[in-house]
Amino acid sequence: MERAVLLLSLLSLGVSSQPITDGQRLFSIAVSRVQHLHLLAQRLFSDFESSLQTEEQRQLNKIFLQDFCNSDYIISPIDKHETQRSSVLKLLSISYRLVESWEFPSRSLSGGSAPRNQISPKLSELKTGILLLIKASEDGAELFPDSSALQLPPYGNYYQSLSADESLRRTYELLACFKKDMHKVETYLTVAKCRLSPEANCTL
Amino acid sequence: MMKKAVELVLLLLLLFFTPHIMGKRYSPPGKPTLTRCRSPEKETFTCWWEPGSDGGLPTTHALYYRKESSERVYECPDYHTAGENSCFFNKNDTSIWVNYNITVVATNTLGSAFSDPVDVDVVYIVKPNPPEKQTVTIMEDKGWPFLRVSWEPPQKADTRSGWITLIYELRVKLEEENEWEMHLAGHQKTFNIFSLRSGGKYLVEVRCKPDHGFWSEWSSTSYIKVPDYFHREKSVWILLTIFSAFIFLILTWLLHMNSRSLKNCILPPVPGPKIKGFDNQLLKNGKSDEIFSALMVSNFPPTTSSNYEDLLVEYLEVYVPVEQELMQEESKDLHGGCLKCERSTSDSDSGRGSCDSHTLLMDKCGETKEEGRHTDRASSRMLTEAQRHQKGWEKDTLTYAHGDMVSPDMSNGRVKTWPSVFSPLPQYSSNPLDKQSSLEMAKQHCLSTSSCLTQPGHSTKEALGPSNWDFCLGNKQPHLLHPQTQVGRQLQAHSEVNISNIGRKQAPAGLQSPALRSTEYVEVQRVNEEDLVLLQPVVSGCGRIEGYPQMPKGKDYSKVKGVDSDNMLLLQREVMEEDWCPGVDQEINGGTGNCYTSSTVNTTQKPTACIHTAMPVQGDMALAMNGYVDTATMCTLPTC
Repeated sequence: MERAVLLLSLLSLGVSSQPITDGQRLFSIAVSRVQHLHLLAQRLFSDFESSLQTEEQRQLNKIFLQDFCNSDYIISPIDKHETQRSSVLKLLSISYRLVESWEFPSRSLSGGSAPRNQISPKLSELKTGILLLIKASEDGAELFPDSSALQLPPYGNYYQSLSADESLRRTYELLACFKKDMHKVETYLTVAKCRLSPEANCTL
Repeated sequence: MMKKAVELVLLLLLLFFTPHIMGKRYSPPGKPTLTRCRSPEKETFTCWWEPGSDGGLPTTHALYYRKESSERVYECPDYHTAGENSCFFNKNDTSIWVNYNITVVATNTLGSAFSDPVDVDVVYIVKPNPPEKQTVTIMEDKGWPFLRVSWEPPQKADTRSGWITLIYELRVKLEEENEWEMHLAGHQKTFNIFSLRSGGKYLVEVRCKPDHGFWSEWSSTSYIKVPDYFHREKSVWILLTIFSAFIFLILTWLLHMNSRSLKNCILPPVPGPKIKGFDNQLLKNGKSDEIFSALMVSNFPPTTSSNYEDLLVEYLEVYVPVEQELMQEESKDLHGGCLKCERSTSDSDSGRGSCDSHTLLMDKCGETKEEGRHTDRASSRMLTEAQRHQKGWEKDTLTYAHGDMVSPDMSNGRVKTWPSVFSPLPQYSSNPLDKQSSLEMAKQHCLSTSSCLTQPGHSTKEALGPSNWDFCLGNKQPHLLHPQTQVGRQLQAHSEVNISNIGRKQAPAGLQSPALRSTEYVEVQRVNEEDLVLLQPVVSGCGRIEGYPQMPKGKDYSKVKGVDSDNMLLLQREVMEEDWCPGVDQEINGGTGNCYTSSTVNTTQKPTACIHTAMPVQGDMALAMNGYVDTATMCTLPTC
């Protein structure tokens, strides 16, 4: 929260002067944060997968095909072409929604290891940062009605109903979906950042 | 869905039909396996599979995939682009963040086989192409070179839009090495390599990886040769120079500290000449005449005719002990003080070495002091000792006398006196009177040096004689027995003996004229191996008092006639006018032997101090070895 306050203050100061520069800096921060989250998700998933036995793994693979991620309802570009076509704002909004969708369910990730406990607050911070970015990039007034229009389904209910039999499967799904979504956000933010940066080679 | 059902039916039919085929043993195909699926740029991807056994029949393979959350089965759109047993998904067919469920089916007439399904998410199978346009250049940083490697991302990978972010890694090694040196470059597209070996040839390769994906293959090798740079060698040379300078300083310091000892070691000092009368300065000046003239003693070899007596008087050195002098004074009154050979602090030049044996002297002196005068017996005893000693002399003194000629520098400086002694002798005029007078003079000289002997009073001399004789004899004997004694010393001893003998003889005899009696006559007995001329007192067989050696009468062989060519000192026989000893003329060679031996037996009586004169056969010439022929008359006794 402190970071959010800092970001806000900086934004308020810098909005008038050089929004782009601040935007770039914010973007950089956001990108780095989301990258970190993605790495966390990857590690969690690999740990979980390694703990599974082969038989269980096969079953899970089969099961996974049939299930969905909770964030599937969020329509996001799934290839480069679509991503390139989308505006920065759209990318930012999608990212925001994705992060938000995981803010609560991340708590239900099987606790015990330290990284898992840190995921939820990090997600919150990231969400705030993305919000700042949205406000900084364009007039956020346009976005707010969009965000409000985006009715998020009651995500909490979806994951709370966990049965003992399905716990393993659920964990697997959770982790896989989380990993995927984080990668999505990272990609979108990176693309958005590079589009805003004046240099040609933004990914130096 | 229909399509899928149709396919399934077809497969089943195939399975049914295959058993009907007779003949060859055919079997359904083996199970293929999907080996891998790769996406080079996160936009397209390719899957490869490995077919199983074909069962002897032509087998076809097909790849079917299903996207997540969809039941629709798709078949691979492109089997050829990527090569054999592959399936290429182009951009349109590729969806990111979507799970693909892929299966490969092998089919032949007998049956088909399904592979295990594989879930693929394109995001996680990205393996980019290697970096391109790799360049390596050498750049310098303050004289030290380094390599700058630069490259470009693979063409297909879209890093510009940020769709894919790549990190790079490069590796370097020397041509002759086996181990690569890895460097992680991160997102940058250039890299500097430092710490190069001068003149080495380096190989550089680069590869890349997306943030979540697989490492690409290594790029093509770039070769670069580092030029020789001087710094390294220079530093080595500088170190070497400093080190060697340091060592050199240490060595110099050591040398300086030990310069003296080293100098003595390497260049030992040349010993200078240590000849008396030899002037180094003259030598350095280089004038040989002066040098040798300095060496030359004025009177040797004898070139001038000088007065025999004068020379004798001048140079004949008789050692007189101090105590004897004292005693002499006493003896004037006391008639026979004990003569003592004083304890002489011999100097190297004088001939007074004979009585130098301290202990002996002390002993003897002590004895005699106590005893006072010797008895005749004692004296006779001593005399016999002397005689015995004389007997020890051999006949072949001649031969010895031939060989040895005292050179001026013999006997370590004592011989200074000798040449002078020699010189006048050969030149001695044949004037008997003169001779006699000279003899007398000589005697006197002889005696004068000895305090005890210069006394006009014979009695004193006589009195002193025995004691002197004793002492000197006693002292003489060890000297004679010692082979090491110097010639001069020996002669001196002999002379002293003789002198004392003279005195002694005079004492008992008292018959002769004072002038004559006061002298002791010496004759050359022999020359021993060490070039010593052994003199013996000449005792006249006539007019002898029992027990006492008598004054030699008759022949006088004390005069040196000359030195012949063979370096033989020729003595001249003199005939005393007073007394004649019968059978005086005796040829020495062999004749005196009998006399001698007999004399040794008798201790007291006959003064068997037969006159052994070492005389040359050639008549009437006596050789004096060292030339010390006293002006004493020599008398040869036929029999003693």
